[in-house]
Amino acid sequence: MELKILELSASHAFGAGEIEKTDSYISVIDEYELESTDLSNYNVLMITYFADQEYLYKHKRIIENFLSEGKVVVFCGHLFRPWLPGASLFMPKKLNSYQDYFVQTVPGAPLFNGVEIEDMVLNKGVAGFFARGYYYTPEHAEVCLTFTDGKAISYIDRHTTNGTIIVHAGRSLLGFENATNTLKKISEQTLTLLKNEVCGGNK
Amino acid sequence: MRKIAVIYSGHAPHYRTFHEPKFAQYIEKLIYLPEFENTDLTPFDVLIVPSQLNSNLLLKSAEKIRAFADSGKTVVALGPQPWEWLPNQKWEERPTNFWWWLEENADSGLRVKNEDHPFYDYFTLADCTWHQHGVFWPPAHATTLVATVDNGSVLYIDEESTNGTWVITTLDPDYHFGSYFMPATERFLEALFSWLSFGKLTK
Repeated sequence: MELKILELSASHAFGAGEIEKTDSYISVIDEYELESTDLSNYNVLMITYFADQEYLYKHKRIIENFLSEGKVVVFCGHLFRPWLPGASLFMPKKLNSYQDYFVQTVPGAPLFNGVEIEDMVLNKGVAGFFARGYYYTPEHAEVCLTFTDGKAISYIDRHTTNGTIIVHAGRSLLGFENATNTLKKISEQTLTLLKNEVCGGNK
Repeated sequence: MRKIAVIYSGHAPHYRTFHEPKFAQYIEKLIYLPEFENTDLTPFDVLIVPSQLNSNLLLKSAEKIRAFADSGKTVVALGPQPWEWLPNQKWEERPTNFWWWLEENADSGLRVKNEDHPFYDYFTLADCTWHQHGVFWPPAHATTLVATVDNGSVLYIDEESTNGTWVITTLDPDYHFGSYFMPATERFLEALFSWLSFGKLTK
């Protein structure tokens, strides 16, 4: 099956300078077009940091139906309304020093293999851009990235619904494609994972 | 005490910022952006238009926001403005130096202007200092309160372009506080809400 991602755009100021996506596998709509868009042509729904979660909560049945068809929903951000099946809400991390921002990958898990920890944690020497909170994960979820205290930043849930839910407590996993360091591997591995998921390879 | 209304995007940073009790106590009404067109603004003295709103809805709402100001009231616009909707808007986007404080002889590049303005009864320059995403070049009649070293305006008040008062800043404390990132933004918001509620807005 061919990968067809539909990304909901929050049409916000930080997104105004983004390069228009021309890849054939991804289409972008304004977030409020979700309710009027035929989703049958898509197998991945990509929802990012500035999404209107009041709107998503109001229309959570669309998300549930999409997942019930065995499709994939990716959410990158701080969840504060329960519109994503089985997902707990975002928990901010207690930060006492910049070292509390440090993360660790989970051996054997997808998405972050070969990504340097320093590339994730530090940007021009400043910590805090990558992740500032965590999630309690659903039972049987595959955790991919944690803080050094074990709290989950990113996980994959293939059990709560008939589909796959990928949650990351940060900015878009597909947003690193132009990175000049190992962060680029996150977007590459996310695409690989999504291709595998829509082909049923990981179910 | 002035009655303050705030436009609420439904995204996570705004959810946290405007539900924080010490800020929410000053907010008479949170107006959910998709419902803004149908909201009566007559009870309010001040309308805060925060950063990172959905631009499609913001631009649809711009005429109503301008009409609110034209009725002699105050509009506060926060954050980068890549779209033209403010009176006499001249916005210049600039690369964001978020690591300036790690450099030798660190200088934020920000300077106080018009230090006898009642704004400074509530704010210090430190409260306005984290980073900025660009500058405005306001009309000559405007009063700049925070500027860059090259006299770009980071925060100014315009009392003459319309019948109302516009407080316009490139700073985006609503986003940063709501994202658990940049502690100075909390002090800025503490000062902002108390100044807008109780302070003299113009000299």
